[in-house]
Amino acid sequence: MPTMLIRMMRFPAGRRCIGLLFVLSSTVLLATEPSEAQPNGSSAPAPALRLISLNPSLTAIVLRLGGGNSLVGVDDYSARLLPEVGDRPKVGGLFDPSLESVVALRPDRVLIVAGLDQQRNAERLEKLGLQVEIYPNERLDEVLENIERIGRLLGQDRAARERIRAILRMRTAVATAARGHERPRTLAVLTRTPLFIVGGETFLDEMLEAVGARNLGRHLAKGYPRGSIEWLIGVAPDLLLDLTPGDAPAADFWARWPSLPAVQKDRVVDLDARQISLPGPDLDQALRALAIAVHGEGISAAIDAALRAPGTLEIRRVSGVGGGKPVPSRTPSRFENAGSTR
Amino acid sequence: MIRLSASRMILILGSLFVAWILIALAALAIGPSSVGLAEVLDLVFRGTGESASRDIVLGVRLPRIVLGSLVGAALATAGAIFQALLRNPLADPYVLGVSGGAALAAIAVLALGGLVGISTSMVPMAAFGGGLLATALLYWVSGGPGRSGPTGLLLTGVVFNAFASAGIVFLASIAGFFDGSRIFLWLIGHLSAVEIDAAGLVAISVGIGLTVACGLARSLNLIALGDETAAQLGVPVDTHRRLLLLSTSLMVGAAVSVSGLIGFVGLIVPHALRLVIGSDHRLLIPAAALTGAGFLVLSDTLARTVLEGRELPVGAVTALIGGPLFIFLLRRAQAEGPLG
Repeated sequence: MPTMLIRMMRFPAGRRCIGLLFVLSSTVLLATEPSEAQPNGSSAPAPALRLISLNPSLTAIVLRLGGGNSLVGVDDYSARLLPEVGDRPKVGGLFDPSLESVVALRPDRVLIVAGLDQQRNAERLEKLGLQVEIYPNERLDEVLENIERIGRLLGQDRAARERIRAILRMRTAVATAARGHERPRTLAVLTRTPLFIVGGETFLDEMLEAVGARNLGRHLAKGYPRGSIEWLIGVAPDLLLDLTPGDAPAADFWARWPSLPAVQKDRVVDLDARQISLPGPDLDQALRALAIAVHGEGISAAIDAALRAPGTLEIRRVSGVGGGKPVPSRTPSRFENAGSTR
Repeated sequence: MIRLSASRMILILGSLFVAWILIALAALAIGPSSVGLAEVLDLVFRGTGESASRDIVLGVRLPRIVLGSLVGAALATAGAIFQALLRNPLADPYVLGVSGGAALAAIAVLALGGLVGISTSMVPMAAFGGGLLATALLYWVSGGPGRSGPTGLLLTGVVFNAFASAGIVFLASIAGFFDGSRIFLWLIGHLSAVEIDAAGLVAISVGIGLTVACGLARSLNLIALGDETAAQLGVPVDTHRRLLLLSTSLMVGAAVSVSGLIGFVGLIVPHALRLVIGSDHRLLIPAAALTGAGFLVLSDTLARTVLEGRELPVGAVTALIGGPLFIFLLRRAQAEGPLG
């Protein structure tokens, strides 16, 4: 057995930490603070479902679509990140939920995200006779589909469609507003130590491209890779978006490498990870915040104008915003036209 | 035991020193960016070069080489000392609870520091303090004539490490996602965030540890044979053991404070060296320091270059390189004759 694993055995916390690190490499789970929307009056009444969510992004969607009454239990991290969870029962961590607690709450459905560990939990829960729904949430389309599926589950189809439309309208609006602006060579840093960045084929990568930033991280790897400082200095980003929670100001940290163009141009931006990086129901607000971080507060008026202008919102692709190279082609989403104001 | 002559000592230590220098120079010239040896030499000796290259060489590579050398030297030397002092081939630098104390304190800052306004930049200092407290506890528990035998020390270390593990489990359970990833990285060890400012404290600690160990190398040779034998030959066993224990723990605490718990170096380097150069601690101690330094710098260079632009934890690389190398040396020694 490798020494590293022996060491992790000696310090059992390490085994748990492997699970925590897995979160970083598969999806980003930081909280926004969604308001618990009331169901739209014209939607069908919520069915008397008993749901348990084992992921903050899914919990946020349930709450945002007005499914709070159905939510009978959540994972510990949802409880920590989302104040709206309140005093609902907690059933353990993302990777080690208490099966006994889950079963005791007699849920009709257990909602989990896709992932190796979660798959194993899903199998164990199904063996106990529970219905498990698995939601992938790495790509933007997947998040939108999750909103749609959970809306259907809750009988809140209309509220879900409105959320999806709001996100797509914002995506189109920020792309329209960013047209003609420079496309800065950008790196989005999730944490400084260890250095994790936003790579390719993630919803954050798609959002960066949508707002007119060129994400250099996609050239390193897919997902959320761990990068090296030397690589980062070598690619010389013009803009550093730092989502590291809690720590000292980003500008102070990155000033240690004065050759970085982003440092020289004073373009190191602290971002609130809780607003940006939860693949949940409020990605429209995340898109706006990203656009402002990339182009400055001045772009707000252009975004608002684009949101007010019907007919300008129906675009098929967000690639090529502001000139420059188009993003690599991808499979057209069935949500592509849903940004229409119709 | 192979007879130790001055010429043999000079030859072995000189070779290891040259190897360490060559590894350090190669590490300075290799990385995911295209900054090569010529530019590195320009920067180091003439102070010229592009600004980005300066940041890369002097701001990223050099601190890792300096701290990697110090940490590697500390761990390998500590391993050699503890294996002899405790007469236990499985002893490593972390066996006496120093790592437990350092880890518990560092992880407490990572997990709870934000709640009480303590910045994560205090992690190294907390780890160092935790290691010292653990050492003080060990010293107190094992204090008194006749009470500091190897078994007592080992049991105290094991119990303290178990206690620290429980604390770490609790803290990791209440830590957030990103704190969790930092805790993970700290537990497996890394050099990706070291700053040259930390080198002073580590260098002083390693200097003290090495000086004491080299000065008491002859005593260590005799203690390794047994306390009674050493005492009969005039070694003040308790005093020397406690001196070695304290100075080595100081060295390990300083190393752990900057790099976390890098495994394998302290366990395997001394054993591998014993297979090649014998068990005389007058040679083994300085040789372990040089070999540990070179081995960790080499491992860290691989950790930061093998996947272009990405980082591997150096603790994983030390195990991947050291394991096969050790098995090779062991097989060769077995082929040459019975071990003993």
